[in-house]
Amino acid sequence: MKRTKKPVFFIVFALILFLACTSILGIYGENGDFKVTYIKGINDIRWGIDIKGGVEAVFAPANGIDASDSEMESVKAILDLRLVSQNVTDYEIYPDYTNDRITVRFPWKSDEKNYNPDEAIKELAATAELSFRMGTDQSGELILTGKNVKRAYTSYIQTDQTGTHEHVVNLEFDKEGAENFADATLTAAQNSSQISIWMDNELISAPSVSKQIPDGECYISGGGSGGFSAAEAAKLANTINAGALPFGLTVESYGTISPSLGSYALEAMGIAAIIALAFIFAFMTIMYRLPGFIAFIALIGQMSIAIMAVSGYFPVFPSFTMTIPGIAGLILSIGMGVDANIITAERIKDELWTGKTLDGCITNGTKGSFAAIFDGNVTVIIVAVILILVFGPANVLSAIFGVSTTGLIYAFGYTLLVGVIANFIMGVGASRLMLKSISRFKIFKNKRLYGGKKS
Amino acid sequence: MRQRFHIDFVKKSKIFFGISLGIMLVSLVLNIFVFPTLVDIQFTGGTIIKYSYGGDLKAKDIEKTANEAIGTIESLAKDKLTYSYSDNLASSNANDKHIVSMQFTGNKAVSVEDKQVITNALQEAYPDNNIKEASSSSVDASKGANFFFKCLAAVLIAAVLMIFYVAIRFKKIGGLSAGVMAVVALIHDLILVYFVFVLFRMPLNDNFIAVVLMILGYSLNDTIVIYDRIRENRRKSGPKVSTAEVVNASLNQCLVRTICTSVTTIFAIGSVLVVSLIYNIDSIVSFALPMMIGLVSGSYSSLCIAAPLWVMWKNHKDKKRAEAKQNSAKEKAAKKSKKSDSKKNENAKVKEKTEKTEEAKAEADTDTADGEPAAE
Repeated sequence: MKRTKKPVFFIVFALILFLACTSILGIYGENGDFKVTYIKGINDIRWGIDIKGGVEAVFAPANGIDASDSEMESVKAILDLRLVSQNVTDYEIYPDYTNDRITVRFPWKSDEKNYNPDEAIKELAATAELSFRMGTDQSGELILTGKNVKRAYTSYIQTDQTGTHEHVVNLEFDKEGAENFADATLTAAQNSSQISIWMDNELISAPSVSKQIPDGECYISGGGSGGFSAAEAAKLANTINAGALPFGLTVESYGTISPSLGSYALEAMGIAAIIALAFIFAFMTIMYRLPGFIAFIALIGQMSIAIMAVSGYFPVFPSFTMTIPGIAGLILSIGMGVDANIITAERIKDELWTGKTLDGCITNGTKGSFAAIFDGNVTVIIVAVILILVFGPANVLSAIFGVSTTGLIYAFGYTLLVGVIANFIMGVGASRLMLKSISRFKIFKNKRLYGGKKS
Repeated sequence: MRQRFHIDFVKKSKIFFGISLGIMLVSLVLNIFVFPTLVDIQFTGGTIIKYSYGGDLKAKDIEKTANEAIGTIESLAKDKLTYSYSDNLASSNANDKHIVSMQFTGNKAVSVEDKQVITNALQEAYPDNNIKEASSSSVDASKGANFFFKCLAAVLIAAVLMIFYVAIRFKKIGGLSAGVMAVVALIHDLILVYFVFVLFRMPLNDNFIAVVLMILGYSLNDTIVIYDRIRENRRKSGPKVSTAEVVNASLNQCLVRTICTSVTTIFAIGSVLVVSLIYNIDSIVSFALPMMIGLVSGSYSSLCIAAPLWVMWKNHKDKKRAEAKQNSAKEKAAKKSKKSDSKKNENAKVKEKTEKTEEAKAEADTDTADGEPAAE
């Protein structure tokens, strides 16, 4: 067998140290007055509302109305708009088209003092008020409201003589709306003024009017050089449709956790993590000596990878909302990581008592323990993958149960999967490399360091 | 091989099965007659509102004010309402030290507007006590049931795939039976986790599902590590050594590892439990406590349930095979009397072996009965 070189230990150790520092602390720079995040650290982890506090609410059409998919799209558009206008940026929103439900979840802002969960939910569920007004000011003369809009939809049409195509939003009004709109567009065209479209208190569009529109059908084009993108046009159409929804929203279920209760939970988990790590360090080093110590280094590496996967360390992987079940998944994967090292260390101990050479014992011990570690981890991976598939936003059981709205179990599956993969890299790969490499140093040749008899 | 323990797990399996069944029976009786199963509003539908407050405020006063406010709300008239009180030990702020929890059980959720009526009434009546909504949750009944069945489906799919994987990987030692026994051990653990929730008066909620899933993974890993030893020892020992001997040796070799792994994991969860008990964070306590007991059960069931059960199954199979052999041997013997001597000898040996395990097998039949239907 190829022997592992002496410097390998230091290379792996340095690498783990680097991963641990950067994944916990993150790397930040300053660009003028702005803080720039190069690598996200532990403080950038998005904590779920069960830990940090926040609001979760499930909305449904009022009076049990069966909403169409496009109507649900509109509901989502209006909720999006309201959350952004309330300055909530890290919200999650899950529409369930099968059961006509829409789930919104958002944490409190870190400096939130006057939180009022009841008002926050009520504001989201309020009936959307769409209005078309003369001019670009909200105090402008009211032309028509959401109930006059029959529908808004997008199309891709030729908008001028030169033959360029662009995405536009088509509008259709009812009879009353068409009459009002005809009058208004006549005035606007004469004064070359604009007509503004408002959702609640948000200006969503202010198209200029080129000529009178008498028949209650018109389109809004993006203007500028490229016009709307397909997505922009769809968003505008959805928002306008939301104002025209024939139903209001009711709050079907909700959950709120105050920010102070949340901060206790986070503090408690931090303390528990430190106690647990200190114990594992002591226990492993006393029970298994050198292999135990190395197992602890590998464990730090494994945790770093798990933190990286959750915080969005690599920009290609999106960051992840960490919840209590998510922490459970991490604990289980750490347990598996410790277990992998215990199995190996026990094997090496067994081998040492047969009186073989140290190198032979380490080789046999790592080889003999691999099958058990592999099978144990693969079965746990199977469980994790099933949970991700079954409880993911769109999942294999969607046909029976509708789109999942509970992300808690999904979080468990995700952290467990990441943790077990990290265990293969660190708890199995890195810790074996380190052990084989360090055993080549003369001072680490003593069998007692590995739990054997005095050599 | 160095072996520090010589515990005859297979011979003592009657005791283990007895302990497990005994705990389950006592728990079941308590569950039926003393502690009915509490199901969280997450599954049944309903509303829980918690208020934090400071200073001296009598429960009687809070309930009087709240009940008056609730009395004005028509839609809540039929709901069952229970109050409970606790203290937040970790709060440095005397203003939010106490917590009152109001649980409404009914099919319809308390609306946000109704909740505001209650909150306002309490705040107006006791302006000096800094009454604030600490948390609230409200779930529609149909959504809860849907979630529950989905969890059940996930656990079932996982169990089937597990049996499948174990059957392939452990073909050498009769994989299918090993897989089924691993799942029987899992069911054993899940039943115990369920009773922890029942006996500690914790309502079944999504923490219960998280614990169930974690124990599933942990117990399975434990069982597989032991199966791996059995597979290895079987290969080394050759066909003459009995299944019971191989399994006993394997269990004893794995014992230190099982204990060490359990100790570290249990301590990790234990520190979470103690800290969250000090901070009085229900959501984490109701997750860490059953998980700790589940971990103990997971290690125990792998050693004392899955492996011995598998031995019984194996012996039962061997006995059947021996009987079949015996029958065919008799037929052969009638035809060819020459070779009968050596055959008879062999049959006698097999018979002697099977008689030994007969007693154990009878026990196994009664014990597997409660786990088997679910495993199929």
